[in-house]
Amino acid sequence: MTTTTAPARVPAAAERSGRDDPLVGTGALVRVALRFDRWRILVWAVAVAGMVQVSVDALANVYADPATRAARATLISSPAATALAGPGYGLGDYTLGAMTANEIALWVMLPVAIMAILAVTRHLRAAEEDGRLELVRSAPVGRDAPVVAGLVAAVVATLAVGGLTFLALLSTDLDPVGSAAMCAGVVMVGLVFAGVSAVASQLSSHGRTASSLGMAALGVAFLLRAVGDVRGPESTSVLTWLSPFGWAQATRAYVDERWWPLLIGVAFAALCVAVAFRLVGRRDLGTGLVPERLGRPAARPALAGMAALTLRRQTGAIVSWGIAIVLCGALIGVLAGAIVDFIEDDATLGEMFGSGTDATAGAFALYTMFLAVMAASYVVTGVAAVRHEEVATRGARVLAGPVSRWRWLGTQVGVAGVAGLVIMLVSGLVMGVTAAASLDDPAQVGVLVGAAAVTLPGIACVLGLAVLVYAVAPRLLGVVWAYVAYVGVVGMFGELLPDGSDALSPFTYLPGLPADEMAWSPVVAVTAVAAVLLAAGFAAFRRRDVVG
Amino acid sequence: MSDAIVIRDLVKTFGAKRALDGFDLTVRTGEVHGFLGPNGAGKSTTIRVLLGLLRADSGEVRLLDGDPWQDAVALHRRLAYIPGDVSLWPNLSGGEAIDVLGRLRGGLDPRRRAELVERFELDPRIKGRAYSKGNRQKVALVAALATDAELLLMDEPTSGLDPLMEAVFQDVVREAAAEGRTVLLSSHILAEVEALADRVTIIRQGKAVQSGSLDELRGLTRTTVVAGVRDGATAETALGALPGVHHLRRDDGHVTADVDTAALDEVLAVLPRLGVTSLVAHPPTLEDLFLREYSDELATLGVREGDAR
Repeated sequence: MTTTTAPARVPAAAERSGRDDPLVGTGALVRVALRFDRWRILVWAVAVAGMVQVSVDALANVYADPATRAARATLISSPAATALAGPGYGLGDYTLGAMTANEIALWVMLPVAIMAILAVTRHLRAAEEDGRLELVRSAPVGRDAPVVAGLVAAVVATLAVGGLTFLALLSTDLDPVGSAAMCAGVVMVGLVFAGVSAVASQLSSHGRTASSLGMAALGVAFLLRAVGDVRGPESTSVLTWLSPFGWAQATRAYVDERWWPLLIGVAFAALCVAVAFRLVGRRDLGTGLVPERLGRPAARPALAGMAALTLRRQTGAIVSWGIAIVLCGALIGVLAGAIVDFIEDDATLGEMFGSGTDATAGAFALYTMFLAVMAASYVVTGVAAVRHEEVATRGARVLAGPVSRWRWLGTQVGVAGVAGLVIMLVSGLVMGVTAAASLDDPAQVGVLVGAAAVTLPGIACVLGLAVLVYAVAPRLLGVVWAYVAYVGVVGMFGELLPDGSDALSPFTYLPGLPADEMAWSPVVAVTAVAAVLLAAGFAAFRRRDVVG
Repeated sequence: MSDAIVIRDLVKTFGAKRALDGFDLTVRTGEVHGFLGPNGAGKSTTIRVLLGLLRADSGEVRLLDGDPWQDAVALHRRLAYIPGDVSLWPNLSGGEAIDVLGRLRGGLDPRRRAELVERFELDPRIKGRAYSKGNRQKVALVAALATDAELLLMDEPTSGLDPLMEAVFQDVVREAAAEGRTVLLSSHILAEVEALADRVTIIRQGKAVQSGSLDELRGLTRTTVVAGVRDGATAETALGALPGVHHLRRDDGHVTADVDTAALDEVLAVLPRLGVTSLVAHPPTLEDLFLREYSDELATLGVREGDAR
């Protein structure tokens, strides 16, 4: 931000403004950023709005009468459930709206916050890291213009998601004013994390580190709200007021709307953006305020071979997915007692959770499937990492050594597969131990580890499909995510969907333990399908060109 | 085994584009072979076919007496590859990347590794994501040159190096050649190829347009003769009458011409009669040879052949 007077011979434009305008070129950069992001924004908006619409419809169907809603209110006010829901406004008269704001809003804000963090670090840091920003800044473009353009793109994405979600909610029976309050809260959370991420992007010189800092901030905000709401319902804890999620939920959407908590978030976002601009002005292009640490001059003896290399690259992902999935398992186990009491009081839910038999078993079968879909998601990220390794040409470097394609692909797929299966078994074990404690029934440990084990062939099938798609048409790997979403939806809502719509999910055929009888033939058959998919993938990869 | 690499009539297409279109290449065992061509001519495609990363559509490819597609792993124990655009693992230091790549092939000679790190002035502690282009390239050079590979495949190995490191690189390649290793050196830097290569292949639009030793290639072309004479006009007329004299131009007391090898005798016979005050004759540089192969392309780009030098 130089304030020096312009020298005598300068172009007329600069002479008029008296000094260099840091915002020159912003308009053009905004157009480029939005063009770059248009499909991404559309997919996020449609996915989030669609998810909200489906969830609200499902809640409306399941909790059609006041009695079930009252039972639901009792369940949700337990500490463990509150941690994953909201401050619990309107529990006394738990309407569909109150339920939506209390239980769904958080799960809309989370993906929007993630989207904002990724969008800002992509525009502000990744572009600088790979040298694109240098090219842009060498053109007559002001220092702040790329930052403004990146932030505008993130804000547009946030508004698109919030706006489309609002339109989706208008199609339901919910009160439009409440929907406006909830969606405004969603947008506010997106803005806050865009701002936080803008600051993080100035601290580190690497996009990955910057987005990790943003994600860490997200985790802290999530925990503050969870602990706050557990300690003080209806936003009475100070901790809740330290979290953007708490501000958004404090609008009391659908219950008794108030708008001023949104202003806290907007002010905080503005403050973050101001700090980010100050930091941009103080640092050199390509650097971060926190210097890079040095590594080892030579590799430790253990860092030898494909497996060690893959583990070194993937440990972070394995650990973070593992912790998330195992924590879900623990939570389900802890909640088991409350869930069982609740389901046994309610005929509709008994129907949803299983056919006739013990309601506990039905609930655990459903939750085990949920954990399996999460483990399958991790496995797909493992295959996506293989593709990333190839596209970055590091695959070609390794394959130019005496490493066969089968070893290269097989080790990486093996690490992802084994990690996914171990995560699933550990989450089954943790779910079993916590359920044994909350139900006072030690037998649950063995039962739930067994239930988790039976889902493994299904996870292997998803892995096999991902490997086959990667081997045959690597660009289409994203389609596998759509498949995982399909498997998740038909697994969780299969009972509510038309017959036959779940025919393509491996989990449809596997016995849903502990609700179903154990049956070995489907387990063997699904394992065989997984083996065929993997074999076909490996054969195809042996035959195709590798990106060099 | 006398030829390390033999390629005959190689075709590789990407969709409608014929990246290699009946390409031939022979690299003899123990030689440094220069591989020249502009961007998109097919150099990298050739090297990737040799590495078994790409599958040839048709034609014969022999590498160290093996099939690079079928016998990839066995052949890769005997060769090392240096790409032009090096991507390192972001969270591994340069030293770790060198060791990981070395251990995949059974380990590196630690003394040689240390010596190369020192000579290339590489700081091996820096993380892969933090290196500049030149330093990433040094990591790849150390990783490849510290092996005992008998064949080195280099695809523009010095595009990010400074002139000092370029000199170190040339020394190291000469040492490798002296040890009897075979080098295929694809490069844009003509002086580097001229300094190192025994033989050269020039590729154009997927075909080999020239191949041979530098002397052979020079023999096929012209020598540039610059003579200072008392009477420029007379000299211009006399020389202009001779067959095999090209691009004759006069600048005050100097005449310059490109002379076919067959016509050199006659030019030298005419010169004494013109009152020569100075005389310079030099063989065409590799740059001249290269640009001649691409003269029509230069013309379309609006560059005259003489100006390009």
